[in-house]
Amino acid sequence: MTGLDLLTPSGLMVAMLPELVVTLAAVIVLLINAWRHQTAADSRFAGMVSLAGLVAALAVLGALWRGGAAPLGAPNMIALDGYRFGAQLLILGASIGTVLLSLDYLERESLIAPEYYSLLLMATSGMMFLAGAEDLIVLFLGLEVMSVPVYVLAAFNRKSAVSAEAGLKYFLVGALASAFLLYGIALTYGATGSTALTVVGQRIAAQGIGTMSGLGLALMLIGLGFKVASVPFHMWAPDVYDGAPTPVTAYMATGVKAAGFLALVRVLMVGFGSAVDTWQPIIGVLAAASMILGNLVALAQRSIKRMLAYSSVAHAGYLLAAVWSGSQAGASATMLYLAAYVLTTLATFGILAVLGRGGERDVTLDSIAGLAQRRPAIAAALTICMFSLLGFPGTFGFIGKWAILSSITAEHHQFLAVVLVLTSLVSAGYYLPVIRSLYMRPPLNAEIHDGVILPGAARLTVALGVILLLVLGILPRLAIDRADSGARSFAGTALDRAAQARR
Amino acid sequence: MSNFLASINYNSWILHVLLVFPLLGAVAVFLSPAALAKRLAFAVTLLEFLLSLGLWWSVNTSNGTMELMQTIPWIPQWGISYAVGIDGISLTMVLLTTMLMPLCVLGSFAAITEREPGYYALLLVLTTGMIGVFIAMDMFLFYVFWEVMLVPMYFLIGVWGGKNRLYAALKFFIYTMAGSLLMLVAILVMVRVAAVMGDGKVSFSYFHLLQYAQSPIMGRIAPWLFLAFFLAFAIKVPLFPFHTWLPDAHVEAPTAGSVILASVLLKMGTYGFIRFAIPFFPGVAFSTFVTNTVVTLAVIGVVYGALVAMVQPDIKKLVAYSSVSHLGFAVLGIWAASVQGVQGALMVMIGHGFSTGALFFLIGMIYERRHTREINAYGGLARVVPIFSLILTVVALASIGLPGLNGFVGEFLVLIGSFRIYPYATGIATTGVIFAAAYMLWALQRIIFNKLDKPANEVIPDLNRRELAVLIPLLIGIVWMGLYPKPVLDKIEPAARRYILMTKGLVVPGDDVIRTKGASQ
Repeated sequence: MTGLDLLTPSGLMVAMLPELVVTLAAVIVLLINAWRHQTAADSRFAGMVSLAGLVAALAVLGALWRGGAAPLGAPNMIALDGYRFGAQLLILGASIGTVLLSLDYLERESLIAPEYYSLLLMATSGMMFLAGAEDLIVLFLGLEVMSVPVYVLAAFNRKSAVSAEAGLKYFLVGALASAFLLYGIALTYGATGSTALTVVGQRIAAQGIGTMSGLGLALMLIGLGFKVASVPFHMWAPDVYDGAPTPVTAYMATGVKAAGFLALVRVLMVGFGSAVDTWQPIIGVLAAASMILGNLVALAQRSIKRMLAYSSVAHAGYLLAAVWSGSQAGASATMLYLAAYVLTTLATFGILAVLGRGGERDVTLDSIAGLAQRRPAIAAALTICMFSLLGFPGTFGFIGKWAILSSITAEHHQFLAVVLVLTSLVSAGYYLPVIRSLYMRPPLNAEIHDGVILPGAARLTVALGVILLLVLGILPRLAIDRADSGARSFAGTALDRAAQARR
Repeated sequence: MSNFLASINYNSWILHVLLVFPLLGAVAVFLSPAALAKRLAFAVTLLEFLLSLGLWWSVNTSNGTMELMQTIPWIPQWGISYAVGIDGISLTMVLLTTMLMPLCVLGSFAAITEREPGYYALLLVLTTGMIGVFIAMDMFLFYVFWEVMLVPMYFLIGVWGGKNRLYAALKFFIYTMAGSLLMLVAILVMVRVAAVMGDGKVSFSYFHLLQYAQSPIMGRIAPWLFLAFFLAFAIKVPLFPFHTWLPDAHVEAPTAGSVILASVLLKMGTYGFIRFAIPFFPGVAFSTFVTNTVVTLAVIGVVYGALVAMVQPDIKKLVAYSSVSHLGFAVLGIWAASVQGVQGALMVMIGHGFSTGALFFLIGMIYERRHTREINAYGGLARVVPIFSLILTVVALASIGLPGLNGFVGEFLVLIGSFRIYPYATGIATTGVIFAAAYMLWALQRIIFNKLDKPANEVIPDLNRRELAVLIPLLIGIVWMGLYPKPVLDKIEPAARRYILMTKGLVVPGDDVIRTKGASQ
């Protein structure tokens, strides 16, 4: 099963099998919902079916990956390489984690509407298309299939005004972003006569980047910039992160961001590789601005959810810095950092969902004070997550950050590297206070931590996430291998040749 | 002894065991009940010390090269290995660390009453981190240990510290991290440049980088790279004006934390200069500008630290500022780059570890009795607690640098060694010794002499056996190193000579440095 002819329907079907399995699962869950959508047990059943669907997709993905599936001849519509497989592993992982976190959360908040899971699955299939798109039309479709369900999910808590606000805000901004992206695609098509990324790449390499294709690229960058919440397109993030139900926030911070970044890497590497000199300065400025602004504003937050929203802007900045380097190492670093970020963020939000129990109380630095005495395991897990977000040695977050720094310094241009470490230092100013509250301050009152118990499924997610963070932080060889082999998919692209020439 | 050690193949496993054993111990201690935790921790640290003692005989320090080198690939994709090795300088630092840890555990028995398993587990993790810093021979590994060490210290200050502990803990963490992050970039840049020079071979090995550090391409950016390393280490030393975190951290930390900070953590800064910053970039480090700046800062540190110490009402703060002053001598000696200067600097590092460690223990002991560190709250203690007073006097005299006690050896060697090279600076630094006498003796007078005029002081008990067990090993060290420092000087001399050759760019690293099995033939 090594070669698949992507020009035949059957070959294309096999290539898209993981996406198809997820889509099928979404439809099945929707069908089940038509008959069973009243009790908590129904909701849980839908969750279990989604989980089964996602695991099945994972198995199919594993089979394709291990079988070394590759396109026969020219790639068409959807990529079939290590980078796509890696991307889909991340996305499926984020989705499975989100489902596990949601199982008990929905019951606790009495959000009994099993459609939640089918929306989640549809969004997942959209993400997978987005991250694997080899054609700009597929890219756009993926983006829309991902975004629309997430708008609904953000507003899923009908009893909460902030949730409704989050959904509406995300929808309006997201629609605008889609428009930008679509216009960018149109202009690119106009300039190159194709929407296939490989062909776009060849044409741009041949004719150089002109006004029209340059404008197309810029508009696409804006569109994707909104999705990954990079400065200056980040304004929606704090309110949406804060208002949305916590597992949905986790999903947006992990899945949406990962899919957006992996698509961005592919567009830039394959489609606009030869125009690296054009986009590098733009990406560099966006990266620096995101790192500086995200980290500085996060310092001023009291609510931990809002703090994490701004910190996610900062992390978008770190990731853009990896994209900036425009090399295989940069693509690999993006993947690796995203893996670390997905694991950490899932575990963090899993814990936050529990801390904000019963009507989503605002979790602040004050309200978590002294948690370590009552719930040492939860406090320890959150501490490890904070150190990983900080990029501290011994955690996977450090490996990710190291990969990014390494890919930047390989380009012999140190400015972004210095910005990255200095802003990381700033980030210690808001991650450490979380740890400080947990361990070094007395609780506000005796009862404040009553009922902070991680339910079974969430406990599994958090525990698994934290253990992986530590294990991969110390023994990262396997993860690096996967990311590197994924990034080798871009060998021979125009950009890769440009990167070699720069050396 | 050597034969016995060779028969158990000591050299091949000892460095790994020294790193892993405290970590395993930390897990066991963390999981054990509070009553058992401290005893278990004491057993682990004591055993660690006994294990490490063999290094004194087994490491062949006569060449000044790295011995017991072991390299295991760790992240081969990135050219990162787990590489450890030890020379005379590392040896003394490692032994200083392992010797202090059981004392720190023992000294905490009475002071720490809550969350004991966590406390002792952190001390053990800290042990691994500190030893790791002194033996890591791969820049990635070094960086990991260097940073990981922050975490236990952050918790020790933040959870078990004094009133203002939250502020002190954060300040300590951020200051140290600020320096080390820039060093991280510098390391990465060095590796990239070395890769360009060395046929694309990416390696974080210390020797690999040393080999390419003096290449012309590196030369162009060397000032920046040196600056990054310099900042990381200068903050840790701490060199004036980067010292402001130190008084806060020292004062707020629990006794054992203060002892470790003063006796070991500060030495990592000077160790970093000797091992990394200067051998990598001797041209920059000994350029006129850098030399003048560093020597000036060191001398300012010596005098300023002593003057500020004089006016402190808080004993712990007084000792904290005296550290700034003493470490100034060490930096002066390092930049003198003469055999006496460097040996002196190392002796200051070791001696300061003993005497300041003992001072902090003594302060902690009296604090546990009276719950105040105000000098003015005491007076006339000599009549109430004679043993305490006697030991405090001896240790204070050692800290001043009285001949016959350890403080003298180091500072005297530094002054001799640097006088020929920086006569004026050394002349000014000499006044630091006089000021040291002033602040120490004055403090001594107000604490243990003067009139016994405060009723609270009349009823405090003298040192008990556990406390004596903490102090006597330190006293033995203080007297031994003061009267007969030769064995220690002999251990560090070849490494010091080698360092001096490196500062002149005379050693071509790589040819004879890497020796995998070199001990006790």
